[in-house]
Amino acid sequence: MNITLKCFAGLARHLPAHAKANAAKVEINEKMSVHQVIDFFKIDREEAYLVILNGVFICPPDRDSTILVENDTLALWPEVAGG
Amino acid sequence: MVFSDNELSRYSRHILLPEVDVQGQEKLLSAKVLIIGVGGLGSPVALYLAASGVGEITIADHDKVELNNLQRQIAHDEQGIGHSKVSSCYQRMININSHIKINPINDKLNGELLLSQVAAADIVVDCTDNLTTRFEINQACVTYKKWLVSAAVIRWEGQISVYHCGHPDSPCYHCFYGGRNDSRQNCSNSGILSPVVGVLGSMQAIEVIKLIINKGDSLIGRVLLFDALSMQWESMQLPKNPNCSVCGS
Repeated sequence: MNITLKCFAGLARHLPAHAKANAAKVEINEKMSVHQVIDFFKIDREEAYLVILNGVFICPPDRDSTILVENDTLALWPEVAGG
Repeated sequence: MVFSDNELSRYSRHILLPEVDVQGQEKLLSAKVLIIGVGGLGSPVALYLAASGVGEITIADHDKVELNNLQRQIAHDEQGIGHSKVSSCYQRMININSHIKINPINDKLNGELLLSQVAAADIVVDCTDNLTTRFEINQACVTYKKWLVSAAVIRWEGQISVYHCGHPDSPCYHCFYGGRNDSRQNCSNSGILSPVVGVLGSMQAIEVIKLIINKGDSLIGRVLLFDALSMQWESMQLPKNPNCSVCGS
């Protein structure tokens, strides 16, 4: 099934070559969890701390149980804590 | 409150805004804001809030000004190198607006000192640079049910949100970053583009002003994420975590 994967900042290097404006349509297997999608694209879970599914933050304990469906948008950002 | 001619002139561009008007400027002049950290983020926050006429501003920082700060920390200058950041920032603020009260605290704000300062403030602005301090500030704001305007930056990225645990829909900072130990990355080892702190710090000042005058929509329950390199903003909903160890029921 197809989803939109968005990766920002240093994570943008994980996007496929056809990505535009930090987003790409990608194909994943059915019933994959958030963590499985992150692993599927060989992204370090620690590096992709901010996980946003359809505009809503998914907290770490829910990333194994949250399953993606067709046309979902998954956005990944690194942690930001500096000042 | 009766404005003097000088005050009317100084704040005229605020007062012209129907959302601010005289009543809003009065609220600003009566407000007490605590700014923790006067580095990259804290510099624009402090300068804009002083210029805006926030009546009482407490600034806290335990660092001294170093040469490598001057690339982005606009409250400080070459004359301030080696001096405390709060004294340097205080001087810049008072040069802009000598009619407000500024309380400089040249100390690390934690423990009882943090609690007493948070309790005395209307709004707390987190401009610090590490998760440990951010968690402690958040805990104090939850304890005293204070507004927390929090932003963070690194490299080309920034984020900002507003928290208030007295608000039924508001998460706290721990709902967001609670699963995290202290960051391995900071501006010292990863770098930071100078104007990124200006963008996020200015937005913190905007959120503070909106809260004081009670206008507009605050960032409660939302986080704005900024990637300067691709010049994109993302808005993310941040739900309250019912199992949060700090604000959960």
